[in-house]
Amino acid sequence: MQPHLKKAFTLLALAIIAFIFVRSLVVPLSFGQYGWYRGDALGDIRNFPVEYAGSASCGEENCHTNIYSVWINGSHKTVNCETCHGPSGKHVNNIREMPGPVNDSRDYCGICHYKRVARPTTFPQIDPAVHGQDMQCTYCHNPHKPWFV
Amino acid sequence: MEVTRREFTKIGCKVIIGAAAGSAVIESVIIRGTGAENSPADEYDWNEHYWGYIVDTRICIGCGRCANACKRENDVPFDEPVYRTWVERYRTKLDGEVVIDSPNGSIDGFPDDIPPEEVKKAFYVPKICNHCDNPPCVQVCPVGATFETKDGVVLVDYKYCIGCRYCIQGCPYGARYFNTKKGTADKCTWCYHRITKGLLPACVQACPTGARKFGDLNDPDSIVNKILDTERINVLKPDLGTKPKVYYVGLDREVR
Repeated sequence: MQPHLKKAFTLLALAIIAFIFVRSLVVPLSFGQYGWYRGDALGDIRNFPVEYAGSASCGEENCHTNIYSVWINGSHKTVNCETCHGPSGKHVNNIREMPGPVNDSRDYCGICHYKRVARPTTFPQIDPAVHGQDMQCTYCHNPHKPWFV
Repeated sequence: MEVTRREFTKIGCKVIIGAAAGSAVIESVIIRGTGAENSPADEYDWNEHYWGYIVDTRICIGCGRCANACKRENDVPFDEPVYRTWVERYRTKLDGEVVIDSPNGSIDGFPDDIPPEEVKKAFYVPKICNHCDNPPCVQVCPVGATFETKDGVVLVDYKYCIGCRYCIQGCPYGARYFNTKKGTADKCTWCYHRITKGLLPACVQACPTGARKFGDLNDPDSIVNKILDTERINVLKPDLGTKPKVYYVGLDREVR
């Protein structure tokens, strides 16, 4: 082989070896495990903490069984506990960690029940100006089982 | 050019060995382990599932509990105007003008800032990442930090994302945002940490009317397939060919 070709091929070989070496250092080990991404990312994302434990964890663990049985038979049974009471994941794991107090203002009930033009007409809505004389909704309505004062 | 038999054999051997070694090295480095069929964790097999999402715009009441729950579940900056899911309000006025808004992503509810007498048609449309089967955001990522899993969820690798925001530009649904806490692009994961444990996404669980439904498209008895089989459904921007997996019931033609 001619000497100038030999030099060129040696340089090329060195460049390829350097590229492979640097790449093996820079690219994470699990990259390409399942596709063109880092396979370990799936585990990272799956290990995020669960904040909303679900209504079942409130009533089926012998804790809030009374209020749970009231709620599950009322028309608010489609509204999960944590929709109003906030995330309970920390409280379920450690009962000393209490969730914050529930917002019992008229405006909070109104987030669902104030009369709004875009709401389906079949959904129960009230006009806050004429309904209830600025009293707290819970004065008349039981939020866990509406229509039973 | 004269070549002896010995030289010819030498060159031939070198070429064959070089070609074989070169292609082996390149293959082992570049295409390392693609198409591995095993699941990332044993208790959850992602080959068995293919997730889908239903939004029933006819029964959404615009309470915004979904957007609120999403922010709390996923540690989304609560006071910044960024949302993984949000609710839009569409109002057609008597003169035909369409007003679209989503104050604070619906978290504080929707005050009637236009007198109801002046509105002839109004409805809410919950929005969320469509988890496209042909996702434009994944195509444009320059580093492979966003991807579609085998069970059909589009995710972001927060350790690998360089925060170039190209995917935010690439999403035709505006479903991505820049997370200033993490310094990366961020988006809805369909609560991947929940659904792989058998739970529902936080927004679906928080919805008081059942306007949001989540289930397995592989399971013929799942709630999602039951609705797909019986209702009139549509997806957002079907002309883009992104093949969304969020299906809308009762979608108005004004919705973009």
